[in-house]
Amino acid sequence: MIRRPNQNRTIILLVAPACVFVLVFFVLPLIFLLSQSVLPEEGGFTLTGYRDFFESRVSRIVYLRTLKLGVIVTVICVVIGYPAAFVLARMPARRRSFLMSLVILPLMTNAVARTFAWLIILGKRGMINQTLLSLDLIENPVRFMFSETAIVLGLAQLFLPLMVLPLVSALENIPEDVLEAARNLGANRLTTFVRIVVPLSSDGLVLGATLVFTGSVTAFVTPAILGGPRLLLMSTLLRQKVVTLFDLHAAAVVAVVMILTTLAVNLLLRVFRVQQS
Amino acid sequence: MVSRWMYISLVILYGFLLGPFVIIFMAGFGANANLAFPPQGFTLDWFANVFETAQFIDSFWISLQLGLSSTIVSLIMGMPVAYALVRYQFSASGMVETIFSAPILVPGLVIGFAMLNFFVLLGDMSVLTGLFIGHTAILFPYSVRVISASLRNLDPYVEDAAVSLGANRLRGFLLVVLPNMQAGIAAAFVLGFITSFNNVPVSLFLSGPGVTTLPVSMLSYLEYYFDPTIAAVSTLLVIFTVVLVQAAERLLGLSQFV
Repeated sequence: MIRRPNQNRTIILLVAPACVFVLVFFVLPLIFLLSQSVLPEEGGFTLTGYRDFFESRVSRIVYLRTLKLGVIVTVICVVIGYPAAFVLARMPARRRSFLMSLVILPLMTNAVARTFAWLIILGKRGMINQTLLSLDLIENPVRFMFSETAIVLGLAQLFLPLMVLPLVSALENIPEDVLEAARNLGANRLTTFVRIVVPLSSDGLVLGATLVFTGSVTAFVTPAILGGPRLLLMSTLLRQKVVTLFDLHAAAVVAVVMILTTLAVNLLLRVFRVQQS
Repeated sequence: MVSRWMYISLVILYGFLLGPFVIIFMAGFGANANLAFPPQGFTLDWFANVFETAQFIDSFWISLQLGLSSTIVSLIMGMPVAYALVRYQFSASGMVETIFSAPILVPGLVIGFAMLNFFVLLGDMSVLTGLFIGHTAILFPYSVRVISASLRNLDPYVEDAAVSLGANRLRGFLLVVLPNMQAGIAAAFVLGFITSFNNVPVSLFLSGPGVTTLPVSMLSYLEYYFDPTIAAVSTLLVIFTVVLVQAAERLLGLSQFV
């Protein structure tokens, strides 16, 4: 390569504008948010905002519900996504690329549109109720909307692609020979799957699970439409604190707890990756 | 190794992912106003309603302008960063990468809330400027990543040849590197635009009188009216996205970057 004079100056010139943008317009507002959560309007440094959050029954229930639904959604996405990704990864390239584009398509459509369909499926006169009514299995419509089940279904549909995509790229890299070797040495399908396929695709699995979990615990549209104002998650609680109660101090606390939760999950992922390699 | 029950999971996956779209299309063309299933009759009234509702038309233009401007700015500023990360080795590169992946790690709703507090409430900035800043920030990770991938595919010696033949670095970049990155730039552009155009969380708190993005105005419409107009908007958006993505895919092979 050609010797590049003034390399450091060049690098600074290339990187500086965007770095300044991110630091001033992104990091600074977040630092302000953090300070807002510990400096109430009355003045003085205090952690009462956090104490209030974890002592309040309502916000504790909301936080635990958010984490619980995140775990359930992640498990559902693994159960549906893993075998499906395995089939996709073993397909001939042409058919696979077509099917993969169908997995990506929903990601390119906005969450409101995708969540709206559930109103038609789960509503009082929706698909499921009409079917059950016409089969005489129920006499009155059942309320499926505004339930944890509705939120879980909506989130799983929203985030399944984020599980399938990393899994397919991890599973693609397992050579067919390895699976054949396992079979020739006497392993049945289950053993091969548990002892060969899972360890060799754990990177994709962990990445997918992290994306799905962090997506689920921070998603706003799905709980807003399918959970309603009485079944709050962290995101809808944050909106309520800002828009309805206009309690910016308490809202900042909720926001910081949300950031810390996603950071903790991402940190766990990093630790796992380091251990792997 | 692939057994029959695994194909069942494939059916569940696609039923789950694509079923909702079928239902939205059906509801958008159905005549009943209360979202009852199955839709009775056929009408285009809901589509007509979309074009007659000022809220949707206005917010569509805002989303379009916002998507274009934030994507272009994030690309123009992100491209030099990608170039520095791929072509040079420097000690702070890890830190630079962390800075530009940070916007992905912070929940969108929190970003929007922080922007509202700091710029709009404290700094008295207009909501529209806040939207532009927020969207540009969340697009950096995509622009930097996609452009870096595209740069890595380009032989650095091509550029060095231009320089040794007398072009300066900037000319070499503009005349040799840039034309060879067209596909990557276009892919980053489409990806960035779609990300901004569909975003709800960052935009949610950043809306004021007459200033709202399309997805947020769809959401607030849902809070007041319970009819298939949203199904009609969604149908139009799906067609818009498919056309955009197909065009990009045909022209440039978008999928290699996603």
